[in-house]
Amino acid sequence: MNVHQHNLRMERIQHRIFWLSAALLIGLGLAIWGTLAVGAAQFVLHHGLNRTLLGVDYNPTRGQFGLLPFFMGSVSVTMLALALAYPLSLSVAAVTVLMGKRAWLAPVRQGMGALVAIPSVIFGWWGLSAVVPLIRQVSGSSGFSLLAAGLVLALMILPTLSLLTINAFARVPERWIDGSLALGATPDQTLGRLVLRSVKAPLIEAGIVAVGRALGETMAVQMVIGGQTLLPHGLLSPAATLTTELLSDISLLPPGVEGHHVLDFMALSLLLIMYGLVLLVERIRGRAEV
Amino acid sequence: MKGTRWHRLALVGSAIALIVFASLVGGLLWQGLPEISWHFLWSPPAETGIFGGIGPELLNTMTMVGAASLITVPLGLAGAVLRVEYGARPGFILLFDRIRYTFLSIPTIVIGLLVYQWVIVGLGWSLSIGTGVVALTAMNWPFVVDMSVSALEGVPDTFREASLALGGTRYLTLLRVVLPTALPALVSGLGMAMARLMGESAALIFTAGINVSKHWAFSAPGETLAVHLWYLRTESVAPHADAKAAATGVVLLTLVVLVLYVSQKLARWLKAVDG
Repeated sequence: MNVHQHNLRMERIQHRIFWLSAALLIGLGLAIWGTLAVGAAQFVLHHGLNRTLLGVDYNPTRGQFGLLPFFMGSVSVTMLALALAYPLSLSVAAVTVLMGKRAWLAPVRQGMGALVAIPSVIFGWWGLSAVVPLIRQVSGSSGFSLLAAGLVLALMILPTLSLLTINAFARVPERWIDGSLALGATPDQTLGRLVLRSVKAPLIEAGIVAVGRALGETMAVQMVIGGQTLLPHGLLSPAATLTTELLSDISLLPPGVEGHHVLDFMALSLLLIMYGLVLLVERIRGRAEV
Repeated sequence: MKGTRWHRLALVGSAIALIVFASLVGGLLWQGLPEISWHFLWSPPAETGIFGGIGPELLNTMTMVGAASLITVPLGLAGAVLRVEYGARPGFILLFDRIRYTFLSIPTIVIGLLVYQWVIVGLGWSLSIGTGVVALTAMNWPFVVDMSVSALEGVPDTFREASLALGGTRYLTLLRVVLPTALPALVSGLGMAMARLMGESAALIFTAGINVSKHWAFSAPGETLAVHLWYLRTESVAPHADAKAAATGVVLLTLVVLVLYVSQKLARWLKAVDG
């Protein structure tokens, strides 16, 4: 009985420790939201919204805080990367899961796992030494551009995206595929009407995860996008995104300086977008499970 | 064969992906390998002359990643245990999940900004290794929770039921049944977390700084390999900065691959021992 009493007391203490550490994570998360929200609120009270969210002139030392170029930059770079990487990742998944043997799956997954871990600065390095010079040669512009950032990001999210699409494809039972082929469907018909349709939800989820990674990336983009704070007028013009502008302005606008809170505003916008993506994934997962 | 046009396109797409990645890694090795020597690995960087190395950066990367992992593993594992093994009120779980998913996808530059505001401006710490460890800890915490949750969820419920039926408390079940079974997955997850931390740079530029001090100290600036690579390729005026950047990239990549390989090997060995 004594041992049991002891165990029960340990149980209570352990439970409390586990609860505390979970609560600590929640506390830190709320502190992040709180800090950014307070900073962003101060910014909005000082400078208003219509000249910031929709403004195109960004010159913080002169009190101009038009953030539209950065929103445009972030969105277009992300869309470009997704448009380039998504078809490639679907092909990788089709080749490894449908055309290859199932025994290949594990090594391919492991290899992809290693590629996922490649640091983003290395992609930035590749962009500077291969993509930017190539664009410069072909187009005659400086090479630092939305296009370069999109290409680098596409390569960066490709392993993640491929891993997720491979996992999605692998969820289709083999006998369904065999059955479809046995019924006389061509491999293409099996791919389009059976595989892609039955894993639609995980495929969409993979896209959302990739968007999250691309939107949040700073270094790889900063190294090749050129850091131009004007509204981009084409794929070849240099630009900036929310994250790259945060990086270059932290030293320019340290806390205490007039206009520092524009950084909080940008960070809060990013956080809100990420929260939206989380809610979206939650909804898709819920629907997929029913 | 008829009806395989899309499959052939898929082959082409995969080939493109393969070639581009091969050119990335190949180009890095091609430019970086000739630069690597014992001297390069040991000596401090130099802005003038051609004899600079990456010794301090190597040390900083390993100590900062090690310290951040030591802090986050118990914290993250405990949170995951509550989530999977103990449970809580549904509202608490929902809040916990939403916060950890959002936290996990926060751009690391935002974490850098927050740590800058809280720790450097708020607490008055300097741009230092210590501040960098705080940033890495904040970044790693939700990741460790996430990988621990999936490791714990991989343990079959029948194991828990057997332990409870034999009279084990929940805590004993966790300690003697669930954790040993989940250990291989935890180890390989930790490897992924450390690889991710080694490559981090955005959160560190304004917390750990972009230079190194002559004497290693917790309160001294601590540039890591990834930050050094970024610095060399964008700001540095040192001669041969390009080749040095490639060499730094090779070292960084080797370190990442090594950590992944060792953790996977260890996980497989643990699984064999257990089974």
